[in-house]
Amino acid sequence: MSGLELKKVCKSYGAVEVIKDLSLQIESGEFVVFVGPSGCGKSTLLRMIAGLEDCSGGTVEIGGEDVTDAEPSDRGIAMVFQSYALYPHMSVRDNIGFGLSLAKTPKAEMNARVEEAAKILQLTDYLDRKPKALSGGQRQRVAIGRAIVRNPKVFLFDEPLSNLDAALRAKMRLELTELHANLNVTMVYVTHDQVEAMTMADKIVVLNKGVIEQVGKPMDLYNNPATAFVAGFIGSPQMNLLEGAAARKLGAEIYGIRPEHIDISRESGLWRSTVRQIERLGNDAILYLDVEDVGSLTVTTDGQTDVVIGDMLFATPQPQNEHRFPTIAR
Amino acid sequence: MPTAQIEKKPRKTSGSPYPLWFFLPAGVIYGVLFLVPTFASLYFSLTRWNLFNSTFIGFENFLSFVQEPFLIKGLINTVIFAVSTALLKTIIGLALGILLTSNIRMRGLLRTIAFFPILVSTIGIGITFAVMMHPTRGIINVSLELIGIDGPGWLTDPTLALYSVAFVEVWRGVGLASVIFIAGLVSIPRDYYEAARIDGATKWQQFKRITLPLVQPATATVMILSFVYGLRSFELIWTMTKGGPGFSSDVIASVIYKQYQAGFYGLSTAGNVILFILIAVMVMPLVAYFNRREVDL
Ligand SMILES: Nc1ncnc2c1ncn2[C@@H]1O[C@H](COP(=O)(O)OP(=O)(O)OP(=O)(O)O)[C@@H](O)[C@H]1O
Ligand SMILES: [Mg+2]
Repeated sequence: MSGLELKKVCKSYGAVEVIKDLSLQIESGEFVVFVGPSGCGKSTLLRMIAGLEDCSGGTVEIGGEDVTDAEPSDRGIAMVFQSYALYPHMSVRDNIGFGLSLAKTPKAEMNARVEEAAKILQLTDYLDRKPKALSGGQRQRVAIGRAIVRNPKVFLFDEPLSNLDAALRAKMRLELTELHANLNVTMVYVTHDQVEAMTMADKIVVLNKGVIEQVGKPMDLYNNPATAFVAGFIGSPQMNLLEGAAARKLGAEIYGIRPEHIDISRESGLWRSTVRQIERLGNDAILYLDVEDVGSLTVTTDGQTDVVIGDMLFATPQPQNEHRFPTIAR
Repeated sequence: MPTAQIEKKPRKTSGSPYPLWFFLPAGVIYGVLFLVPTFASLYFSLTRWNLFNSTFIGFENFLSFVQEPFLIKGLINTVIFAVSTALLKTIIGLALGILLTSNIRMRGLLRTIAFFPILVSTIGIGITFAVMMHPTRGIINVSLELIGIDGPGWLTDPTLALYSVAFVEVWRGVGLASVIFIAGLVSIPRDYYEAARIDGATKWQQFKRITLPLVQPATATVMILSFVYGLRSFELIWTMTKGGPGFSSDVIASVIYKQYQAGFYGLSTAGNVILFILIAVMVMPLVAYFNRREVDL
């Protein structure tokens, strides 16, 4: 069990700088999520921690030890790949025990450790199957099992849930959080899904074009986004970000207000609008409003609302929940 | 007819997605070019024939073919030739395939060079190597002499001739083998190797535990193709040694050809049938073995 520190790491492919002078401290036992849009360098950063990509500059420390030039296997890490990378010609047992068998672990100890991991992950009944004969969620668990038996100091996950359907993803989110609580190890988790970031992370790292936009607890990022980019990325539905004249009228270059922080009324309010579209989610309803001189506005409201398309409504932002940003993200 | 419409289409248990008539063109071609000649030669092997007529003589051809004094030698040579070329093509082809899928420089150029011998006619290769392997004037022995080695008679030494031809056959065929291996190797996901690296696998362990099992379909293809080719092999042997010196590098195919040249048509057809059966008998277990061990990615 130990922490992890990145000191001014950078990575370029030829002339393209993918990671720029990035520093980050991860405490021991923390669940850290790297989140950001596609191509922002999340995977690259994770692979640099794993040692699968070398750093163009800077140092990587794991457990206080400089591992910048160490082999992946000497770093005390385990990684779960998006594709799972399960060997199709080996049974679940051999897949999970692969690392142990390479290290020539005695058979009895190997079996015990594989079976213990299988028990944690409810894979005991599937140990003798080939990966082909497993469901997506089971494969996912085998991949995690392979990481667990290594007893790593740090777990690395690269979008491990993106191949699963929505229901299974929600279930695995919970299982991973519980696994983290049980094993009490450091986990670094990459995703482009802000819901995964919000629900699982102790600490979220928002990446954009190879630099860190903001680091913080999920609710801190939600309540106090440092930049318009973070504001737009964290929270669902997305925060309304107004620019130009409408924003200046409210005293900012960029004015942000979350859909759940706008009150609507039929009588009076700041913005007069017409309802363009409604999405009913059951407990909530999402209204898409057209506001004169401001543009489109998203508002969440009670699921039982009697508003219909074409209605005229007044929308008013809650003053205590307004966000003001200097300029839009790079 | 109304009843015809009510009738359910018969469900094909074979699960082929195509209707039967789809296979007709291929079936006709197969019949004309393969089935008819096969059965015709089966028949002719039981006759004494020339271009104009044939007399049925039963198994006499087979009997005299089997009694051919150099047949056993030819048989042994055929098996030696086929096994050694198949093994070497597989091993060298895999090594080349791995080299040519790694990140070496000028990979494209090197792949073309490895593939190049395929583009040259086998007979051309045979003639060229026969010249290069000439005991006194060939470039190989001339070069060896420069560094003080007295090169052997590659094609004139009876103990060496077959192996010299086998070497040329490997050189000729290894390009195709490596292309097949390259196709197999690039289909193995890179993740597998990265996961193995994290688990602490050495390069050798990665090769043994991941590459070898997963490139198995390509290995099977190369093995079986080269083995069958080796059993049937004729052009190189004929252009380089004509089965000589003496009968030391004769294979079944050259024995058959010699009888054909001598006008024993029925006899040589019988030899062909025997060769066909021999190939079938030797290759079938190989195919079954590889099929059983196949894994899909
Ligand atoms: N081998 C490479 N050569 C050149 N550029 C690369 C290479 N690998 C990645 N990149 C570039 O680096 C950037 C970051 O890639 P990376 O895979 O880390 O993105 P990501 O944040 O994981 O995106 P995604 O969410 O789509 O997985 C991308 O713009 C990509 O084009
Ligand atoms: Mg990625």
